[in-house]
Amino acid sequence: MTLISRSRRKDRIVLTVAGAVLLLVVPVAALAGVRFTYTLRTVTAGGLFLGAISGSIGSFAVLRKQSLLGDALSHAALPGVGIAFLIAGRQLGALLVGAAAVSLMGVWFISLVTRMTRIKQDTAMGIVLTGWFAVGIGILTFIQQRPDASQSGLDSFIFGQAAAIVRQDVQLLAVVSVVMVVILILNWKEFKLVTFDPEFAKANGYRIGVFTALILGLVVTAVVMGLQLAGVVLMVGMLIGPGIAARQWTDRLEHMVLLAGIIGAIAGSTGAIVSSLDTDLPTGPMIILVNSAVVAISLLFAPGRGVVQDLLRRRDDRKRFAGGGQG
Amino acid sequence: MRGRVNSDRYWRRAAKGVALAAGLVLSSAFVFAGGGQESPSIQGSHSADDGVLRTVGTTTQASDLLRILSKGAENVEITGLMGAGVDPHLYKPTERDMRAMNNADVVIYSGLHLEGQFDTVFRALHERGVVVYALSEPVKSGGFVIGGFDRALSKLGSDDPHFWFDPRNWELSVRGLATLLAEIDPEQAEVYRANGETYAVQLELLYAWANEGMRSVPEGQRYIVTSHDAFQYFGAAFGWRMAAIQGISTEDEAGVGDIQQTVDFVIDNRIPVLFIESSIPPGTIQAVIEAIRAEGEEARLGIRELYSDAMGAPGTFGGTYVGMLAENVYTILQSYRDAGVDVVIPEWPAGLDISPPATLFK
Amino acid sequence: MTSRVLDLDRTGGSTGADHSARTGHSENLTFEPSLAINDLTVAYDGKPAIWDLDLNVPPGVLMGIVGPNGAGKTTLIKAALNLIPRAAGSILFFGRTYDRVRQRVGYVPQRGSVDWDFPTTVLDVVTMGLYGRVGWIRRTGAHERRLAMEALEQVGMTEFSDRQISQLSGGQQQRTFLARALVQDADIYFMDEPFAAVDAVTERAIIGILHQLRSRGKTVIVVHHDLQTVSDYFDWVTLLNVTVVAAGPVDSTFTTDLIERTYGGRVAALTPRDEREN
Repeated sequence: MTLISRSRRKDRIVLTVAGAVLLLVVPVAALAGVRFTYTLRTVTAGGLFLGAISGSIGSFAVLRKQSLLGDALSHAALPGVGIAFLIAGRQLGALLVGAAAVSLMGVWFISLVTRMTRIKQDTAMGIVLTGWFAVGIGILTFIQQRPDASQSGLDSFIFGQAAAIVRQDVQLLAVVSVVMVVILILNWKEFKLVTFDPEFAKANGYRIGVFTALILGLVVTAVVMGLQLAGVVLMVGMLIGPGIAARQWTDRLEHMVLLAGIIGAIAGSTGAIVSSLDTDLPTGPMIILVNSAVVAISLLFAPGRGVVQDLLRRRDDRKRFAGGGQG
Repeated sequence: MRGRVNSDRYWRRAAKGVALAAGLVLSSAFVFAGGGQESPSIQGSHSADDGVLRTVGTTTQASDLLRILSKGAENVEITGLMGAGVDPHLYKPTERDMRAMNNADVVIYSGLHLEGQFDTVFRALHERGVVVYALSEPVKSGGFVIGGFDRALSKLGSDDPHFWFDPRNWELSVRGLATLLAEIDPEQAEVYRANGETYAVQLELLYAWANEGMRSVPEGQRYIVTSHDAFQYFGAAFGWRMAAIQGISTEDEAGVGDIQQTVDFVIDNRIPVLFIESSIPPGTIQAVIEAIRAEGEEARLGIRELYSDAMGAPGTFGGTYVGMLAENVYTILQSYRDAGVDVVIPEWPAGLDISPPATLFK
Repeated sequence: MTSRVLDLDRTGGSTGADHSARTGHSENLTFEPSLAINDLTVAYDGKPAIWDLDLNVPPGVLMGIVGPNGAGKTTLIKAALNLIPRAAGSILFFGRTYDRVRQRVGYVPQRGSVDWDFPTTVLDVVTMGLYGRVGWIRRTGAHERRLAMEALEQVGMTEFSDRQISQLSGGQQQRTFLARALVQDADIYFMDEPFAAVDAVTERAIIGILHQLRSRGKTVIVVHHDLQTVSDYFDWVTLLNVTVVAAGPVDSTFTTDLIERTYGGRVAALTPRDEREN
């Protein structure tokens, strides 16, 4: 009995602490003297929402053992940005739509390759990731000759330019966050079942194709929203980092996704604040650094699954059983 | 009862296989063909001895200068690599560019790492015996190159590559290139030298005119605020100062701190106008403007974009060096005037070959 | 040849199995088969995993499917449940196609088919069997929880209801899967190697549950790996090797001759019913 209540209590503590940290990020920074100018407020809010969105939906990618998919999706988006520019010019909406469309084509291509050849899924993802990214670079190189090209800032999609986001972008992120939360809640048990046991789901009549597509759609949305902030190369960190970290602290899916969202939000907001402390600190990479620090701490120190605890336990066992010699 | 053989499923799979193959072929075609190669290609021979002087200019300024100096000379071929509005810090040389450079007799570039993605290329060309000349060279050896960015002077070891914005520097480059062309093509040496002299006079007229106008702005308000740090030389030429969000290269990503610092700077110094550059995405400047307005202060954008790394489209006023610089001066002065600052816009000097179009004065 | 009387009560109503049927062709049956397969062909990579398979299973039997590796046993179940496409053939449950009677079919997949490190509890997994009944958008509630706990009680796992599934032993995992199928209260159950690598206690418990199901008139079809226990556990058997070698009541069908034909050669260490004492 103690096993169960201990884990429930642990989860409650972890979630409370995480929530508290998230709420305290801004006040603590303000007390420490950080000036919350309009710019910082905007970028912090943007980082917070983006971190929450990508962290929570990214948990599903982690659980489906498709972490690489996030990377493939974001890299595959680059040619979409270029093609959209060629067709529609420098309209942010068009660029994002192009990114999303080509990204989804990448997913379709991955499943096609996996189904029709002997190539395994992660190999197929690698092909799409590198190949389509290369196509994207090729298109951007072709575009750079055009007079209005440099102004379009297409290159900034590679690494992101978080500092340039404005209030409108944050409003869009907030709306997308709400929509995503609603979709997650509505389809929660279906997402859970389809991720855990797709075979059983299919046998029970679930159209796993539909729900898988929905999860993927949400991942693509997060990726596209994040292109401006973190860029193609760094987006995967925002997607899978929080999920990996959260898994270390909890054994319930509900808590894991919630915790991942909180961790993502913490990383997004803290990274933005850190990048404002001095000049020449790029925001996107700062967010990823905070993210990675949380992942590292979680992998090392989490109770139950952490590396440190494992090592300590093993040492304890050795001490305990080395003494009792064999007959 | 025998089961139905699903033949249409067979055709569907065949179709998918074809699509798959086509997709793979197209992807690899893209990867292997045109796309931006960094390493110089091995094909391309040296110039044939057909009496044609093949020249290549990397930036629009370099191509412009080649055209001016070779006016009236025969059998001179000029290939420009970057077009109007192209950012030279980020431009990656294509296969076609490599061929042109390999076949050229002389490659003219700006230098001081302005063409940020060409470093290995120039080295390789030099090893292959192509004459490679940096227009910044006479400026550097004359000691007129400014280092880094003001506040980061200690941090940066590199030079600010935007030397051409001071017409006096450009004059040095003009003479340097004229001398080089005369050396390479001695038969037409006189043409080049004469063109060089004439153009130098033009530049001096331009400088005097610009100086008069720019220095009419009260000293406390002589600040150019842009996305990246291209106007130090411009400022130094006319007694103005720079404030930029990014550093001297657009490769740097602007951080929140950079934006904030710029916002504070503009508000503290009551700078009336901010400028967008023609070759840089305006996102960061717009973020600065929104931030300033959110603080309740006024923020105006310049009435036109400034030419920074790249000139305008060929055939237009802004497509020549003189026109480009003049247009920048007009843009700045007119924007300040509209912001309520007392400025003097001097008459266009009669001795200059080209004249500003009426559209600049609307 | 004496047919051994099975230990358990087989008075479950409507099933009236015909013990003399050997091949299971429709002409010999006097009832609607719970599972009727006709001319089934399933191919992997251009090779037939199942070829021209015919099978009729009477309702209310506890049937084992045995055969060598690669015989197509798992493939058969997956094809029946529409999990993999078939090249040809028809499969009917109680005379209807699968989509129509899905509610009446329960499935216990192989344990290895999921990642047991998934963050969820035993109760959660069992409740998943009820998602289909609850429907989209709606959440599971106290009613579902009660049904799930009842199923857990049947498999003897109530005190594990809140346990994280990664902390379960193999036998406990199997029982969890079984409970998930039981909670659906189906009429026909498919189980893929439920006894593989479980402890003896679990095995006894599971077979007890299967016999209970049969006595309630349910049909239970089990892919089985252990020839030794076929006669003890099942009353019907299907000998499978890409196609059906034989199918019918265990007494008449599970003979050395047919077994050897299925496995291709002498099968040592096997003591089929008719050679055993008592």
